[in-house]
Amino acid sequence: MIWVTWRQQRTETLIAGGILVLIAALLLPTGITMAHAYHHDGLAACLGTNPSFSCHVAIGGFQSRFQPLFSLLNWFTLIPGLIGVVLAAPFVHELENGTYRLAWTQSITRRRWIAIKLAVPIAAAILIAAVLIVLTTWWRAPFVHLNGRMETGTYDSEGTVVFGYTLFALALALAIGVVWRRAVAAITIAFVGYFIARIFVDTWLRDRLVAPLKATWKASSAQPADLAHARVISELGTGPGISFKTGSGPLGSHAAHIAIPRGLGQGPATMHAVYQPPSHFWPLQGFETGIFVGVALLLIAFAAWWTHERTA
Amino acid sequence: MNEHPALQAAGLGKRYGSKWALEDCTLEIPAGSVTALVGPNGAGKTTLLQLAVGLSEPTTGTVRVLGHSPRDEAVSVLPKIGFVAQEHPLYRGFSIKETLKLGQKLNPSWDDRVALDRIERLGLPLRQKVGTLSGGQQAQVALTLALAKRPQLLFLDEPVASLDPLARREFMQSVMEVVSDTGMTVVLSSHIVADLERVCDHLVILARAHTQLVGPIDEIVAGHRLLVGPRADSAAIARMHDVIRESHTERQTTLLVRANGHVYDSSWQVLEVDLEEIVLAYLGYGSDRGAAHAAAREAVAR
Repeated sequence: MIWVTWRQQRTETLIAGGILVLIAALLLPTGITMAHAYHHDGLAACLGTNPSFSCHVAIGGFQSRFQPLFSLLNWFTLIPGLIGVVLAAPFVHELENGTYRLAWTQSITRRRWIAIKLAVPIAAAILIAAVLIVLTTWWRAPFVHLNGRMETGTYDSEGTVVFGYTLFALALALAIGVVWRRAVAAITIAFVGYFIARIFVDTWLRDRLVAPLKATWKASSAQPADLAHARVISELGTGPGISFKTGSGPLGSHAAHIAIPRGLGQGPATMHAVYQPPSHFWPLQGFETGIFVGVALLLIAFAAWWTHERTA
Repeated sequence: MNEHPALQAAGLGKRYGSKWALEDCTLEIPAGSVTALVGPNGAGKTTLLQLAVGLSEPTTGTVRVLGHSPRDEAVSVLPKIGFVAQEHPLYRGFSIKETLKLGQKLNPSWDDRVALDRIERLGLPLRQKVGTLSGGQQAQVALTLALAKRPQLLFLDEPVASLDPLARREFMQSVMEVVSDTGMTVVLSSHIVADLERVCDHLVILARAHTQLVGPIDEIVAGHRLLVGPRADSAAIARMHDVIRESHTERQTTLLVRANGHVYDSSWQVLEVDLEEIVLAYLGYGSDRGAAHAAAREAVAR
């Protein structure tokens, strides 16, 4: 049965693997160049709280050189969804084409068939997600040293959340597919659903999973150290006759909030910030992975149940 | 071979939503028989077969295959049955060789020699993709897959419906060879009556979700008569015999009856009828009331 499932899943797994190879073909050479540049420019020495002028120049040069690629990598947040829904296709195809009638009248029970037919894409999804995480984490390492990994694009492709995203996309496509029995339609709708779920989590839920920190400091003095690489939810300056807000939500970034005080001159007296510090990285990742994997397991259980009970 | 009947249904019914696809079906198909399941499209043939192979679960009643419930005791039933579903679904991306490998992987009783011999006799290259075969060849590959697991009981759902006349003939020829070689019990559904008499010895007529007639074909043919006489009311005959169909012209009345014993009324000319005409008479007849239903019940009781 494992051979049979593999034979049926071969094309889709190769497509998913092909996506991975393309990504590797892009990331490996550029990553090597970048890591080399990072060492060559001596950026590791510039990571302290008060970088020298030459460090500023070196960091600026490095960032402007690799920023286009770095921005491109933010699109990679769609890849776990893409791979997940593609891996669901063979299962749904089987229902769409009626070939499950062939499979279920061989000598194995449908329970066993369903279990193996689901286990193979799940295993493939986990494996591919792991490779994806390793690749992008390695590639981004120099940027993470400079800017931290709390920024949305980086956070979304490191740690463990990618497992959750991939499994969720797979499970959603399976759940829709077993009911609808149209592979292309199920894949399309599931991908849209994946996208919506991700936007919801990125823009709303993530700020609430772990209670964010609040900080207040004098505008003339240095900001709290852990704000440097933080995910800034909001930042606010108050003073005599002045009040403005900046860096709201996931768009608030390191670059934005160091620019503000400079433009202020003698303006506000006090700064307030609400933010997720770098130390919240793993708790946030844990909760978010748990939610996505949990929902995925529920959807997969539903798909298995529906196929077992409601398909003839 | 097996003391259990090949297929046994009691009060079997299946409902999809509010519509009964099969209702109150009670029948027994003996081991060693070749049974045709005849009826128009939507009569419940596919439903009955899917219940028999455990693909669907009965809404009411029970079905037993070789003495076991195909759904609850799938492990006891599945290895002993072969099934070719309607449109004979196959994995189109698989080569013939891979299709046979699938059969081998999924069936402990698989006999590779049976499979390879059949494919060779059909003259099909093992490396060819199943999706590129003609409809008739695909049907033959599906049959090969079902036969090489060496079943005691073979179910074929509309095996020839989508085939051209030549492929249809070749397929039925294959089924007949299998029956004569192995004595396998076969249940096949069809909405085409022609040719069945050559292949089958038992008949189940299904229409509008109900069984209309069940029995051995020779008894069915022997038990039915066509009565032709001057225009008359059928009431007198109906007291003795089951009138399946009656038609009147200005001068003449024609009755197709299931005769209970001899027809003694000398005003009728008694003629033999062929199977096709009997089947058509039952299919044209209402299912919920009247003699046809009574006849079906009686046939079941016998």
